[in-house]
Amino acid sequence: MSGRRSRSKQSSVSSITDDQITDLVSKLQHLIPELRRRRFDKVSTSKVLQETCNYIRSLHREVEDLSDRLSQLLASTDSDSDQAAIIRSLLMQ
Amino acid sequence: MASFTPNLEPAPDTSLQFKPKKPRITLQTPSSCPPNQRIQRIKRWRTQRDQHIYSSKLFQALRRSRRTSASREVHETADRVLAVLAKGTTRWGRAILTARKVTKHKKAKLPTNNRLRKPDIYRERRKTPAVERKLKVLGRLVPGCRKLSFSNLIEETSDYIAALEMQVRAMTAITEFLCGGTGGGPQPPADRLPSNVNS
Repeated sequence: MSGRRSRSKQSSVSSITDDQITDLVSKLQHLIPELRRRRFDKVSTSKVLQETCNYIRSLHREVEDLSDRLSQLLASTDSDSDQAAIIRSLLMQ
Repeated sequence: MASFTPNLEPAPDTSLQFKPKKPRITLQTPSSCPPNQRIQRIKRWRTQRDQHIYSSKLFQALRRSRRTSASREVHETADRVLAVLAKGTTRWGRAILTARKVTKHKKAKLPTNNRLRKPDIYRERRKTPAVERKLKVLGRLVPGCRKLSFSNLIEETSDYIAALEMQVRAMTAITEFLCGGTGGGPQPPADRLPSNVNS
């Protein structure tokens, strides 16, 4: 069964055209703020992937920082139930 | 309890607004025609509505849990709520949700990789080894995407990046609220997160 699967994967890999690849890479490039300014230059696939990895890592770090601050804030505002009620009603639709 | 008429448009948008208000796309009815689905997928995570839904769910989850004194717990909760909102349509979402049940010992490399090595001959003609390496790194960064094909990996990455950006925006907004909204903390650089001014 997996033999069949690897064979079908083989055929699907060879059917990806270069155009599709550059298409997908340019789509990715559009999402990365670093590379969005250089949209009209040719940015190599390797560079796009590198910047993507860097960007995802920086986003992870930001979320880490934010959760750090949030955990501290939550620990300190736990007693304030009035504020929590106001926040909840503001955040909910 | 004061009765607020929750209005999405005016008041809650005092939170950091990185982009002007976008028209809300309803994600409930899956239309059969592909262009609509593509638009829905592209606009996902980027609307104010999505961000508000996420913020409120995250806030509720954080209030409910008693162990939010650890930053790791907060991070995991944030990721989990994000994955739940993806409604199982993305691989990274499913990977986050299933990973919580498994302990962290699951780092063993599966031997079935060898069988998938056969198509390498075809792949190397188009992509250099450097690109291959970076693809692998990318596959490790996005949860659950280690063995995806090239196009699937790019799709998952695009969605994952959009979701992460929304996560940052929402968590920043929550932090702002908890600080009393008086700017009691450093704000993230607004130019890094996408602002949709020219669209």
